[in-house]
Amino acid sequence: MSAAPRKEIPLSILVVDDEPIVVQSLGDWFRQDGHQVDTAQSAKEALRLVAERSYDIALIDLKMPGMDGIELQERLARERPELTIIVMTAYASVDTAVRALKAGAYDYITKPFDPEELSHLVRRAGEHRSLRSENLKLKEQLSSVSGAMPIVGTSRAIAHVQEMIEAVAATDATVMIRGESGTGKELVARAIHARSARCFGPLVVVNCGALPEGVLESELFGHEKGSFTGAQSRHKGKFELADGGTIFLDEIGTITPRVQVELLRVLEDKAVTRVGGTAPVRSDFRVVAASNMDLETAAHDGTFREDLYWRLNVLTLELPPLRERPEDIPVLAEHFLDRFAHSMNRRPMRLSAAALDVLRSYAWPGNVRELQNAIERAVVLGTPPTVEPKDLPVRLSGLPARPGPMSLEEMEKGHIRQVLEGCNWNISQAAKLLDVDRGTLYNKMRRFSFERALAPGG
Amino acid sequence: MAFQEVGFLPLAGLARPAAEDLVAHASAHLAVPCRLLDAPAGWDLVRVPGRDQLDADRLLAAIEALDNPAGRALVGLTDRDLAIPIFTFVFGRARVGGHAAVVSLARLRPELYGRLPDSALTTRRATAEILHELGHVAGLGHCQDFQCLMHFSTDIEAADLRPMTFCPACAAQADSFIAT
Repeated sequence: MSAAPRKEIPLSILVVDDEPIVVQSLGDWFRQDGHQVDTAQSAKEALRLVAERSYDIALIDLKMPGMDGIELQERLARERPELTIIVMTAYASVDTAVRALKAGAYDYITKPFDPEELSHLVRRAGEHRSLRSENLKLKEQLSSVSGAMPIVGTSRAIAHVQEMIEAVAATDATVMIRGESGTGKELVARAIHARSARCFGPLVVVNCGALPEGVLESELFGHEKGSFTGAQSRHKGKFELADGGTIFLDEIGTITPRVQVELLRVLEDKAVTRVGGTAPVRSDFRVVAASNMDLETAAHDGTFREDLYWRLNVLTLELPPLRERPEDIPVLAEHFLDRFAHSMNRRPMRLSAAALDVLRSYAWPGNVRELQNAIERAVVLGTPPTVEPKDLPVRLSGLPARPGPMSLEEMEKGHIRQVLEGCNWNISQAAKLLDVDRGTLYNKMRRFSFERALAPGG
Repeated sequence: MAFQEVGFLPLAGLARPAAEDLVAHASAHLAVPCRLLDAPAGWDLVRVPGRDQLDADRLLAAIEALDNPAGRALVGLTDRDLAIPIFTFVFGRARVGGHAAVVSLARLRPELYGRLPDSALTTRRATAEILHELGHVAGLGHCQDFQCLMHFSTDIEAADLRPMTFCPACAAQADSFIAT
């Protein structure tokens, strides 16, 4: 049996109305048209269905016993912002329409429906939904192409980084980005490029630490055909490819003395001679370099050429480690949650107070990259809409808290959490170990927002 | 189920000659014999509350409840306007995979849309609507192919664009009695 040619994409529709005849008639009508339909006769049932699966369109009756259509619509708009909502009402009035549209409805329709009107409305809503999702995809693609991902954070340290990016982007000077592994050096390099006059040119990224000397030479400067065994054709180097744009040299501290000499010549001449070639090729590039090593000491010790160090170190941008800006942890975590939930097509997720507490207490030796990985894991393993401590990597709650002096309250909170987790949140056992009565422990748990154990049945 | 016959019921004021004409036209497109039956007596036709329209679902249920031999599909024909409570009107109604359908001629006449009366056009529209509803009886849903009788139309001009045949996919899927 072959399917009929489809000119329109079948939609997934939820019909919510307390009148059985309405949900049945609309359900049959949409199903006959090839759509996937679920029906609910109360807001509560609708919320349960929406928690279980995703819909393209929800048709919601305004007047229902219990939670009414506007309230349901507001909740759905918060929890499932991607859902297109059409409100159904038996009593058309400007007031009703305004209320529904203000609460985020796509449109409203008055009962009884003109079949043609409903058909057009649902078709338009389906198109609106596809355009919206296409728009989101394009935005993501654009971000990944331009590399202009946002630099997230509200701390003074990150605000200073952002100011520096704006300042250095406007110039054409060489920039050295310094920071521990995972602090976002490539992200900053991309931001500098995206905000510079070279933003329409290429951004060429070279991880100098990942390549052996010979390969790196050939990658950076290119080679002529036959210049070495295996050089079967002429190969343009990264400096040539970066003509009109920016070249980002990551892990610059790892390059060998021979490549250091070559690199210095290229930076001085703004011209590249391919391996095995004789004629220099001019290229108009800007250099942004990055290192997590102490290049100044390396230059002083003689392991990194001092003249190259000064050539690269025109403008320096220091990226603070995450442990020095703990106030950015929640906003970064929420940012990654939204990003991963969206890219994995999962429902929006939020951190519980206990999970946030675990994130804040951790020292983050791997910096933002480690936090990003932890959140990605939580989105995969967690159950929407809340990320709990159990969804985070075990090491986060197992390692000592961030270095530096702790307040007495922080210490007490950390100790109580450790004991509770050790007892698998058994209150009686934990109270016995802490040598306090259960009431005192409950009071402290409330004060420190340890939600997990206070939840009903928990 | 495979039907061996289609019975037509003139309902709610449809004149018998008009019904005979429709049965003749419909039978030209069906693979089984068509028969005009007598209108059931004493039916209490239910209106949609507050509207001068017959409730199509109640009428369909009444037809389905008639004493009817197995292997015969039934089609009710009426001049009265049909609707269901949630919609302002319907051209016809049938249950997918059921054994009955109902079709109204009220919105098929050109004069309703400010045109001159055209009995040939009304008959063509009514025949198309009968075949469309019988398509549902034969197990078909709506089809997205504009060149198929099962394409769903909510206005009469769009309905006029449909051919009197099913697309190959629907024809292959439908109960054989409907094959044209």
